[in-house]
Amino acid sequence: MLKRRLVGVITVKKGWAVQSFGFVRHLPLGRPEVIAQNLDRWGADEILVLCIDRTLADAGPDIDLVRRIGRMGLSTPVTYGGGLRSVDDGMAVIQAGAERVCIDAMLWREPMVVRALSARIGAQALIGALPVSRSGQTIAAYDYLSRTERPITTQTRALFAQQVISEALIIDWQHEGHARGFDTDLVRRWPLPGVPLIAFGGISEPEQLEELFCMEGVVAAGVGNFLAYREHAIQNLKERVRVPSVRPAEYECKP
Amino acid sequence: MQAVKFCQRCLYGDDHPLGLVIDEQGICSGCRVHDEKDRLEWQERWALLEKLVRPYRSSDGTTHDCIVPVSGAHDSYYIVHLVKQRLGLNPLLVSYNKYFNTELGVRNLANLRIRFDCDILVQNVNPDSVKRITRASLRQFGSIYWPCLAGTSTFPVQTAVRFRIPLVIWGAHQGLEQVGMFSHEHEVQMTRRYRKDHDLLGVEADELLSMFDTLTERDIWQYRYPDDHSLNSVGVTGIYLGNYVRWDPKAQHEEMIRSYDYGSASFSRTFDCYDHVDCFNYMDLHDILKLYKHGYSKVTDHACREIRHGRLTREQGLALVRHHEQRPAVYARQFCDWLGVTATSLEFLLDLHRNPDHWYQPAPGRWEFHGWSTRANSAVQTAQATPDCKFVQNSVLDTRPDPRYIVVGKGYPS
Repeated sequence: MLKRRLVGVITVKKGWAVQSFGFVRHLPLGRPEVIAQNLDRWGADEILVLCIDRTLADAGPDIDLVRRIGRMGLSTPVTYGGGLRSVDDGMAVIQAGAERVCIDAMLWREPMVVRALSARIGAQALIGALPVSRSGQTIAAYDYLSRTERPITTQTRALFAQQVISEALIIDWQHEGHARGFDTDLVRRWPLPGVPLIAFGGISEPEQLEELFCMEGVVAAGVGNFLAYREHAIQNLKERVRVPSVRPAEYECKP
Repeated sequence: MQAVKFCQRCLYGDDHPLGLVIDEQGICSGCRVHDEKDRLEWQERWALLEKLVRPYRSSDGTTHDCIVPVSGAHDSYYIVHLVKQRLGLNPLLVSYNKYFNTELGVRNLANLRIRFDCDILVQNVNPDSVKRITRASLRQFGSIYWPCLAGTSTFPVQTAVRFRIPLVIWGAHQGLEQVGMFSHEHEVQMTRRYRKDHDLLGVEADELLSMFDTLTERDIWQYRYPDDHSLNSVGVTGIYLGNYVRWDPKAQHEEMIRSYDYGSASFSRTFDCYDHVDCFNYMDLHDILKLYKHGYSKVTDHACREIRHGRLTREQGLALVRHHEQRPAVYARQFCDWLGVTATSLEFLLDLHRNPDHWYQPAPGRWEFHGWSTRANSAVQTAQATPDCKFVQNSVLDTRPDPRYIVVGKGYPS
């Protein structure tokens, strides 16, 4: 059985790691590369760096940031998202040191570019991020650029269903940053069975992780703000999640 | 020149070195979190603190309940007052010897120990190593204070591990108070990541070692933070009182002056008479480096704090900043004597760290300042006169005609 992954999420705005609350309110945290180094030492299974202002500013991916993180020689796989516009942007992110690329606006803006990028770097290196909320019996995608909700389009669904993208990052954007906030109904109502899911947004407690890791399709859970409040936050979560498929907590021990 | 966006309420810009977010209403994260001070129910928060420390109380009173880092200034009296008198804990005080000690700082620390009747441990790192590190950190990233910051943030945690006293109690969280890094309700605790990222300017002790420098393992080992295994095995937990008490340094220091005879002194570069009276450099040379690197200095921090507490208007704050921030260093000669450098060498090193975003050199030896106070607040009318902030000055930094650092410990005589 494959291990369930605990993903440390670093949200970046104007080059600074920030806490994010419901996609609207942000508090500064520090240097993204220092936080990445810390998550690596704590034993996160994956690090996801999301630059949330690059697409809106049409600034392209923050290659310098990916390089700075890459130079730290981390052993944890790093996924980068934010500002990607083209296949070349995706290639540049990989060449700068990220293992995987996370795309969001491109999913519904330019599905053909997504297919071309997948052909170049492989579907296993591509994650699709979808901020979602409940909408009646289904779920709606949130376009953070226009701040409007819309159904998940047929083209976007096809990208996941045809395995152009390996995993879907479903973000409970309304409860992002709020303790115990994640709405597990978003997983239950996810319309594409068989697509591996990374749940993120308002996941703070081991009980939430346990529930999510036992749900069909969930392969990973992302935690962001809540990793900044305590020492050894990753290890503390792992020690309290009573699911055997989680890689055990480890504490660095210097000779 | 980098475009800086300024908070509409205080004087901070969004290129603040701790990070600062300005929201769609033009108000910064620091001001937003400060608003919580008037919204939260502090009696309930104090009850949370009492519950939090309960498991750490010694059952028979024969051991220390917690570690409290202290100095001869900077909230130490109030922290010990809360820990010992209000929480009823038996703290082990720990203090890192910065070597830049003023007469008043030495007196304040001695008075603190006597008045509160506590045990205290003082760490004196080999002064030759401290000087070597100071030279390296000044040259590499423009800080004469790195050893002080590293020592004050490391020694308490090392002591917690060494003596197996897991609870470390700090005062306010700097990132929360200044830039609103966390809500009080997050109850943020001490982390190695924050210490490296902000206290140590992103540079751990081992990262100072370089084949191109003269520093060796022997110089830096005392600044190493305990590893994760050690922290976990002891269960070291560092908490901040500011999450549970409505933190107001001015009011607190004045209470400490009245109750415990805390000594205060005036500074040339700020109007606050309470912070950092234990150190010749913090409000002097270190503060000038802050102005060179970041385009603002400690007086801006003090003004923002007073604006947020409603004791200054934004206009009065800006007038105070402009009045103080360009004042020259008073104790540069003492620093040169201690480090063994000439005044010209020091000036050369300091100039290397002038940030071109804030400084322009029209000719050799001349500098024009374009920092926050010059552009920030171009829309803000400066008050006609600097206001009286009503800080109580009951002493002076040093009574000697030719003050020198009181180095004590391993540092004696120089």
